[in-house]
Amino acid sequence: MRRSRRWMAAVTMVGMGAILLAACSSSGSSSPTTNASSTASVKTGGTATMALDEDLAGFNINTSASNEFVLQEIMNLVWPQTYIINSNLQPVLNTALVTSVKVTTNPQTIVYTINPKAVWQDGVPINADDFIYNWQTQSGNPAYTDVGHAAYQPAGTTGYNQIASVTGSNPPGGAKCEAGSAADQNAGLCPNGDTVTVKFSTPFADYKALFGDLVPAHIGRVVGWNTGFAGPTQAISGSWYTIQSYSANSSVVLVRNPKYWSTPGKLDKIVFSFVNDDTAEVPGLQNGEFQVINPSTVNLSIVQTAQQVTGINRVTAPGLEFEHFDFNEANPYLAKLAIRQAIAYGTNRPEIIAHTIGEIDPSIKPLGNRMYVNSQAQYVDNGSQYDTVNTAKAESLLKGLGFKKGSDGYFQPNYGPEKGQDFSLQIQSTSGNTTRAQTEQLFQAQMKTIGIKITIQNYDANTFFGTNLPDGDYQIGEFAWVSSPFVSANQSIYCSYTNTNNCGQNWIHYANPQVDKLLAEGAAALSPATETAKFNAADKLLWADMATLPLYQKPQYFAFSSKYGNIVPNTSETGITWNAQAWGVKAA
Amino acid sequence: MISYILRRLAISVVVLFLATIMVFILVAESGNPLALLRENPHTPKSTILAREKLLHLNDPLWQRYWIWLSHAIHGDFGPTVAGQPVGPQLTAHLYVTLRMVILATILSIFLAISIGVIAALRQGKATDHVATFTNFLFLAAPTFVVGILLKQFVAIPINLHLNRTIFYTNGDQSPTLTGSFWQRLPDYAGHTVLPTICLILVTYSSWAIYQRSSILDTLDSDHVRLARAKGIKPRRVLMRHVLRNALIPVTTVIALDFAGVLGGAVITEIVFGWQGLGVWFLNGVTNLDVNITLAYLLITAVIVILFNLMADIIYAFLDPRIRYD
Repeated sequence: MRRSRRWMAAVTMVGMGAILLAACSSSGSSSPTTNASSTASVKTGGTATMALDEDLAGFNINTSASNEFVLQEIMNLVWPQTYIINSNLQPVLNTALVTSVKVTTNPQTIVYTINPKAVWQDGVPINADDFIYNWQTQSGNPAYTDVGHAAYQPAGTTGYNQIASVTGSNPPGGAKCEAGSAADQNAGLCPNGDTVTVKFSTPFADYKALFGDLVPAHIGRVVGWNTGFAGPTQAISGSWYTIQSYSANSSVVLVRNPKYWSTPGKLDKIVFSFVNDDTAEVPGLQNGEFQVINPSTVNLSIVQTAQQVTGINRVTAPGLEFEHFDFNEANPYLAKLAIRQAIAYGTNRPEIIAHTIGEIDPSIKPLGNRMYVNSQAQYVDNGSQYDTVNTAKAESLLKGLGFKKGSDGYFQPNYGPEKGQDFSLQIQSTSGNTTRAQTEQLFQAQMKTIGIKITIQNYDANTFFGTNLPDGDYQIGEFAWVSSPFVSANQSIYCSYTNTNNCGQNWIHYANPQVDKLLAEGAAALSPATETAKFNAADKLLWADMATLPLYQKPQYFAFSSKYGNIVPNTSETGITWNAQAWGVKAA
Repeated sequence: MISYILRRLAISVVVLFLATIMVFILVAESGNPLALLRENPHTPKSTILAREKLLHLNDPLWQRYWIWLSHAIHGDFGPTVAGQPVGPQLTAHLYVTLRMVILATILSIFLAISIGVIAALRQGKATDHVATFTNFLFLAAPTFVVGILLKQFVAIPINLHLNRTIFYTNGDQSPTLTGSFWQRLPDYAGHTVLPTICLILVTYSSWAIYQRSSILDTLDSDHVRLARAKGIKPRRVLMRHVLRNALIPVTTVIALDFAGVLGGAVITEIVFGWQGLGVWFLNGVTNLDVNITLAYLLITAVIVILFNLMADIIYAFLDPRIRYD
C-alpha cells in the first residue's frame, strides 16, 4: 500500500519546486520517456479509467491539507497552469492560457500575457486577479488573509515569498482597469488586466514553477481558500476538463469543460478510481476496470504479474526519486571525512542495485549526482570514483586515523566513545520495506569486509521521518529524496545546517560555505545554463566532502491499455496525466 | 428483562468511557500527527500553527480529551489531521462496510447452520468428511489469499471468456453509474459478489464447525432421546428439539464474532478496493489521527455491545428456561 501515501506509498506532495520524502520503496524496468504528447491517431469520445491509490482530502492542491500527488494528477486537467512539466521533465509554456512570457532582470520581472479567450467554466475571464490572488494566498505574508481573516494555509511559499508585487494591465478590448477593492486586496492592481507583471524582490531562477494550478480568485475570495474547495462544486474548471462528480472513497469523474477555449480533450470522460492496494491495480487492468495504472510501490511481483497480461503497454521510466545513505556528522566518527569516505569506498553500490531494484530494472546504475538524476539532461556523474569497491583504500583511510584492526577483523577507534572497542555504527530506515531491509543487510556485510560493524534498527515512517531524522537521532540513515525538475529546492538539504530558517532539511549537520554560495547563486540564476553549472559544482563539492552517498535513481512503473493512444508516462510530480487531454481510443 | 437491558447498557456506557480514555492516551502519545508536515521546511509556520490550533495539540491531554468527549456526545467527532470533519467520513465508510458485512453475515449464518446440521446428521459419512475438510480449509486460509484466488481464477477468466465485465475486482460500484436503482442493481451485484463470497468463506467455517459440534451434543441429550422414544417424527425432533437448543451456543459465537467480522473485513476491503471502515481506521492509525481512531472505536464498541445484548435477548426466545432479573 502507498504513499501515503502515504505513508504507505503515501508520498505527500509539497508543491512545485519542493522536495519531499518517500516513505516507500521498490520499483519497476526500462524504456525512455518521450516528449510527444499527441502522436497516435485517436478517436474523439470514450472513457478511460485510471487507478489512484488514495482518496482526496480536498480539491485545492495548493493547501497543506490537500497537497497530494493523486489530486495533482486530477487537477492537471481542471485548473489552468502557466507551465506544464512534459515527459522530458522540462517545463513547457501552456500557450492556451498564456500567449507569451517576457523575463527581464534587475529586478527580475516576469510579464505574462493571458490569452484573451481564457475563461473559467462559469464564463468569468481568467485575468490578472487570478495571478494576484494565487500570489497573495501563497506568499506567507500575514497581511493577506482568507475569509474571516484566517491565515492562509499553503503547502509552501517557495518563490511566492520572493515576489514583491503582482499587477495587471491592458484589460481586454481597451477597457479601463477596474478599481479592485481593499477587502479583496486587489485595489489599484488592475485585476481585470490581461497582462500580468510579476516583480521579484530577490531573483528566483525557478519562476516557471509558479502559477501552476491557478485557483479561481472570484470563487476563492467568496468561499475561502483554506476550506472553500473541500468539495468539487467550487473547484470550477479553467482547463480541458471539469469535475462531473466526486464520490468520496470511490472515484472522481471528469468530463469536457464546455467553456474551454482551445483544442478540447479527446476523451468524453476521464475517471479516477481509488484503490486501497497497489497489487490490486494489475488485476483491475487485466479485468478492464482500469486502462491506466501507476502503482506507487512497485515490486517484482507486480511487474511479473503485469508481464502475464496481454493487451497492455508496460513502461518502466526513471523517476525523480533517488535512494541514498545519509551520514549524520553530529556523530563524532561520521564527522571525520576519512570515515565517510571509507564507508563510501567500501560500499558496493552495483551489488546493492543488482540484489534489489536491479531485479526490476537491470539497466539501473549507481547515481553520481544529488541535484540531478540520470535521466535529466543536466546530469553529470560526479561520483564515478565510488562506482567500484576499493577495500584497500577504505582500510587505509581508517588506518590513517590511527584505527587498529582487532582479531575479529573489526577496526577499533583510538578516540571517542568506542575507543578500544569494535568500531560500530547504526543504520536506520523505515520498517516494513523489503528493498531497504535487503540494502541494509548487504551494506552490513560490505562494511564487515572493511572492518566496520553495522547494526540495523528500523522505525515506522512517522518516527523515522518525523522524529529521528529532524532530531538528528541517527547515525546512518537510508531513505529517498524526491525532487522536482526545479533544482533550487535542493538548497534546503545541503546549505549549512547553521542556517536553520532555510536549511531545515539538512539533518546531516553538513556545513560548507562554498556550497552555500554556489547553491544561492544557482537559485538566483536566471540563465538555465548558469543554474545547472552552479548546482553541479555544488554537487562536486558534496562528493568531495562525502556528505551523503547516493545509491540509485528509482524507477516508476506504468501500465496502460494498448487500445488507447497518446498515454505518455511522466515521472515528475505532474504525473502521467500531464497530457491526458490527448488520450483517446486508438483509431482502427 | 427491561431492567436487565438498562443495567447492561449502563455498564456498557462506563466501559465505553474507559475505553475511549485508554485509546485516546495511546494514540495521542504515539507521536506527533503533524510530524510529516513539520519536516517540510516549505510549510509556513502559520500553516502548522493553524493546524495545531484546530487539533488542540498544544492543550494538555486531559483538556484535549474533554474537548473530544464533549463534542462526541453531540455527534461531532472533530476534525481529521487533515482538517476534514470526521463525522461524514465515518458515515460514508460505515455504509460501505455494512453493505458488505451485513449481507456476508446473514449468508454466512445460513451457510454455517446448514452445513453444520448436514455434517452432524451425516456424521462419519463422506458428506461430513467433505464438509469438515472444507470448513478447516477456509478456516486456515488467509483472507487475502481467498480474495486473490477469487479474482484470478473466478472473476478474470469468466469475464475474459464472456468478453464483458460481470465480476468487478475493485470498488463497490462503477464510477459512471447512472439510472434507477433497478438499472444500477446489476452493477452493484457485480461489485458485491466477490468480496461478499470472500468474507463468507472466511467467516462461515468456524460457525459451521461449532454448529456441527453443538448439534452432535444435542442429539445425544436426554430430551431428544425421549422425543424419539415418544415416536415424534424425526423432522419435528430436529427442528423443535435439536436445532432450537443447538442454536443457543452458536448464537453467542455469532454475536461475539460480528465485531470481528466488521474488523476483519479490512483485508477484504483492501483486496477488493472497497473504501470501508477498516481501511479508514488503518489510515487513521497510520497517520496518528486520534479522532478517526476514537470514532472507529466508538462505533465498533457500540456494535459489539448491541450484538451482545441482542444475543442475550435471543437466548430468552430460544430457551424458555432463561430468565433475566
